[in-house]
Amino acid sequence: MSKRFRPDVDVAPWKGGHSPYDIIKEGTIALVVVGLLTLILAVVFGSPDELAITIKTWSNATPLDFAATALSELNLTSGTAQYGAPYNNASTGQQLGPLQLAKWVGARIPINTVNDFVIDPLKSLPAQPDLSTGLKQWSSASSATRSHWVSSYTKASAKMTFVNGQVTVTASDVGPLPVLINNLTEMARSGALDQALVTQAGFYTTDFTLPLLFLADGSYLASLADHQHLTGDQWGMMNETGNYPGQAWLWLYTFWYQIPPFNASGNGDVLVWGLMMALSVVLLLVPFIPGLRSIPRKTRIYRVIWREHYQSVAKE
Amino acid sequence: MSLTHFAALLPLDTLGHYLHWHFIQISVANFVVIVLMVFTFIAAIFAPFPGRRRRKENQ
Repeated sequence: MSKRFRPDVDVAPWKGGHSPYDIIKEGTIALVVVGLLTLILAVVFGSPDELAITIKTWSNATPLDFAATALSELNLTSGTAQYGAPYNNASTGQQLGPLQLAKWVGARIPINTVNDFVIDPLKSLPAQPDLSTGLKQWSSASSATRSHWVSSYTKASAKMTFVNGQVTVTASDVGPLPVLINNLTEMARSGALDQALVTQAGFYTTDFTLPLLFLADGSYLASLADHQHLTGDQWGMMNETGNYPGQAWLWLYTFWYQIPPFNASGNGDVLVWGLMMALSVVLLLVPFIPGLRSIPRKTRIYRVIWREHYQSVAKE
Repeated sequence: MSLTHFAALLPLDTLGHYLHWHFIQISVANFVVIVLMVFTFIAAIFAPFPGRRRRKENQ
């Protein structure tokens, strides 16, 4: 008994003629045309060339934002301090329903914001009497005393000012914090903090995790990104700086971030990722999904592309 | 040779222009690229195959 012909899966044997097709020739033409187009567009429009944003840039542009961010690293309210995996265990992190994906990864890149962003860089500075005393005072204090200093300084920091290159907070019982914050701000404004945060990573300076996280904890980087339409709620994943076209092919991935429940969920990243993975699987399995696999046959677009062939067949 | 010899003729480093419609926000540059891609797709469907005239003459 012969099997029933299935139009979406089976192929009828070809009984017509054959034409030669030179795929090497076509590929070479495509390569040359695309290469020339790339060259011409590069000469005419150039390429995005924004200057790198460093901690030096940030602390000179908005020293108070830098000082406030340094304080948030000390009182553990910064984005990095509260992020969870892979930097610490402060929160569960992104989860997909009951699956605590971020927590499973664990604190793979442990970051202690107090030491990594503030105390250790200050220790790398050449000895200065007030700073050395301040660091000694900090390291010899108990955890409770440090918390008390940080808490008192945080309460008074709403009236923080920056005058004549000095960060000033009027507060009492804050231990060495004014000296530490001031020296860190001076260090940042000189560019030394950028170097200190990178050189902690090893011989080759390719690991910019610490300076990037510190920058991201402040509001300066976010305001620049917002100005250039690069944030998540501005379809930023699709955009490029200036008037250059961006990653238009990421439109679907970016789209989900703009609508509920993704735009209001703390797990938006993993929810969007999960949805895109599910859609990618559907795309991979199109040949096996009844209905979806019939779309090309039913829309008959192939008959438009090969219209001359079908016209000649109809004539016969 | 000075660096100005390598500068772009029409640099696009100025602040971007954006189109807004409800929650949809798209840069003019991305919009132009998408329109060109759609145009290329439609052209690929409707443009005749190269060599069509030669084949007809042979027939």
